[in-house]
Amino acid sequence: MRYLLMFIVTLQLFAVDATLKIEKDVEQRARISLVDGSGSSSGMNEKFFNTLFSDLKISGHFLPDHTHHRGSVANGTIAPSLKSKDYVLKYALSQSGGLKATVKLFNASDASLLAVKDYRIGSANKYPFLAHKIISDINAVLKYPDISWLNRYVVFSRYTTAKRSVIILADYTMQYQKTVIRGGLNLFPKWADSQQKSFYYTSFNGTLPTLYRLNIYNGSKTRITSSQGMLVCSDVSQNGSRILLTMAPNAQPDIYEMSVASRSLRQITNFAGIDVGGKYLGGERSIVFVSNRLGYANIFKKAIGGSAVSQLVYRGRDNNAVDANGNKVLYSSRESHNSFGLNAFNLYLMSANGSGTRPLTTTGVNQFPRFSANGNAVLYVKQYQNRSSVGYINLASKQTLLFPLGGKVQSIDW
Amino acid sequence: MKLKTILLLAIIVLLTSGCSQKKPKPNGNASDANGIAADTVSIDESGVNGQSGYNGSSDGMKSVYFDFGKYNLSYDMQSTIALNASVLRQKLKGRKVKLEGNCDEFGTDEYNYALGLKRAKAVKDSLQAQGINAGQIVLVSFGESNPQCYEATDDCYARNRRVDLHLTR
Repeated sequence: MRYLLMFIVTLQLFAVDATLKIEKDVEQRARISLVDGSGSSSGMNEKFFNTLFSDLKISGHFLPDHTHHRGSVANGTIAPSLKSKDYVLKYALSQSGGLKATVKLFNASDASLLAVKDYRIGSANKYPFLAHKIISDINAVLKYPDISWLNRYVVFSRYTTAKRSVIILADYTMQYQKTVIRGGLNLFPKWADSQQKSFYYTSFNGTLPTLYRLNIYNGSKTRITSSQGMLVCSDVSQNGSRILLTMAPNAQPDIYEMSVASRSLRQITNFAGIDVGGKYLGGERSIVFVSNRLGYANIFKKAIGGSAVSQLVYRGRDNNAVDANGNKVLYSSRESHNSFGLNAFNLYLMSANGSGTRPLTTTGVNQFPRFSANGNAVLYVKQYQNRSSVGYINLASKQTLLFPLGGKVQSIDW
Repeated sequence: MKLKTILLLAIIVLLTSGCSQKKPKPNGNASDANGIAADTVSIDESGVNGQSGYNGSSDGMKSVYFDFGKYNLSYDMQSTIALNASVLRQKLKGRKVKLEGNCDEFGTDEYNYALGLKRAKAVKDSLQAQGINAGQIVLVSFGESNPQCYEATDDCYARNRRVDLHLTR
C-alpha cells in the first residue's frame, strides 16, 4: 500500500511537469555561446557579434551568452567554461572583396560538429543580412520553428520635409539602410511579392496620386493606376495576383480589389464615411478594415462580394490601423482621453472571430502594426519619451526587441 | 521484493522521461550559402513633376480649417468658402482648382489620408453649392505630410487641419 501510494504521488508530480512543458520557458531555450575567431578586433566584429546576439534572442529558441568569446574556428575543442552550454557557434569574419564568414556549430558537451558553412557577400555594409542568414540557418539545422523572417527586407517611407519623403530598404534591425526612392512625395510602400523583388508605392508627384510597382533589382517601374483624392495599396494576395486598394474615384475613400493582370476593379465597401486599410483574412475571401461607420475609427470585417459588415472590436474609441495574417488580427488603439499632449497607442492581438484579445504593448505610442510573413512575429513603430524605435514581438516566446529609428515614419512593410 | 523492483524501475522510467528537455536533433552539415539578397537599385524622382513645396492656399484664396478629427465645415468657415467661391468665379475660367486636404500629426497610416480627403470633399461640396462646376475641381489628400508648422501646440495642430486651394491647369 505504501508503494502504491508512492507510485500515485510520483505519477501526479510528473503529470504537473508535463503540463508546464507546454509553456516555453527560459529553461527550454537552448543555451548557446558565440566564439569569434575573426582575429584582430574591429568595429565590424563588435557589430557582427551584437547582431548575431540579437537574432538569437528574438528567435525565442536560444538563450545566448552575453560574453563575446574569442577563439579559433579551426580548433575543434570546446573550452571547459562553455561545456555547460547546449551549443557553441564558432565563426570567423574576414573582409576581402566584401565579407566572408566561416561558421561551425558544435554540441557543447561532447564537441561534436553539427554544421559547417561558408558565406560570402559582395558588400560589407550588408553584414546584418549575413548575420541574420547564419542564425536562421543554424535555427533550421536544429529544426526549431522557422525564423526566416529575420532575412527579410523592411521597406518604409519617411518624411523629410513638407511634401517630401524617401523610401528606404532596411534589414529588420535598421542597421542596414539604403534609400531606394528619393525626391518628391512617394508613400505607402507595400511588398508586391513574397520574394520581395518589387514593391508598390503611391507617387504624389503628378496631379493625381498614382500607384507604381518598382523592381528593386533592375529599377523597372510599372504604372498600375491613378485615383483622385487618395490611393493606397493596402494588401497583396499570397500569390501576388490581387491587391486591395483604398481609393476614391468619386472622392469617396472605399476599398477595392484589383486583379493585377487585367487591372479590373471590384468595389468591396461602399460607405459615405471612411473605409480604409483592407487586409485579407485567411482564405482571402473576406477582409478586415478600418471604418468610421460608428462615428469613430474602428475595426470591421466583411466578406468579399457579400453585403454584411460586422464590427470586430468592441473596445477603444480610436482604432485606426489593422493588419491580418490567417485568422489572426492585429490593431492599434488610442488609449488616452485627451485630444492632444500625451498620447498612448497600444497594440492588440485577437482572432478574426472576435475572441482572445490580448494586449501586446503597454507604454508609449505604438503604431503601424505589421505581421511577419508567417504570422509568428509582429513589427511596429514605437514613440516613447521623444525616441522613435522599430519594435518586434515574437508572439510565441513573447521576446521583444527595439531598435532606434530616426525621423518620422509614414508607412512600413516587411 | 519483486514489487519493490518493479516500482523502482517505474520511477526511473518516469524520472528520465518526465525531466528530459526535448531538444531538436541536429541535422548534419549545411553546405553553401546562397539566399542573401543581391544589390538593389536607387532611383531619384526629384525631377519628376516635383511638388512646389508651398504651404497654404494661393491665387487669392484662403485655406479652410477643421476641428480635431472632423471633416464637416464649421459655421466660422462659411465666409471663407464664400470668399473662395467669389475668387473662383472670376479666375477659374477654363482652368481647374485643386483642393488639398491636410491633417495634424495624430492618426496614422491610411486613415489620416482619408480624413484629409473627406475634408477636401466637404470644401468641394460647398463650392459646388455656390455654383462652381464640379468638373473643374480636383481633390488630393496629403494626410499629415504637409504641415504648416511643427510645434506641439493646439494652435499649431489647428493650422495643420486644413484644405488648401490652388488654381491649376
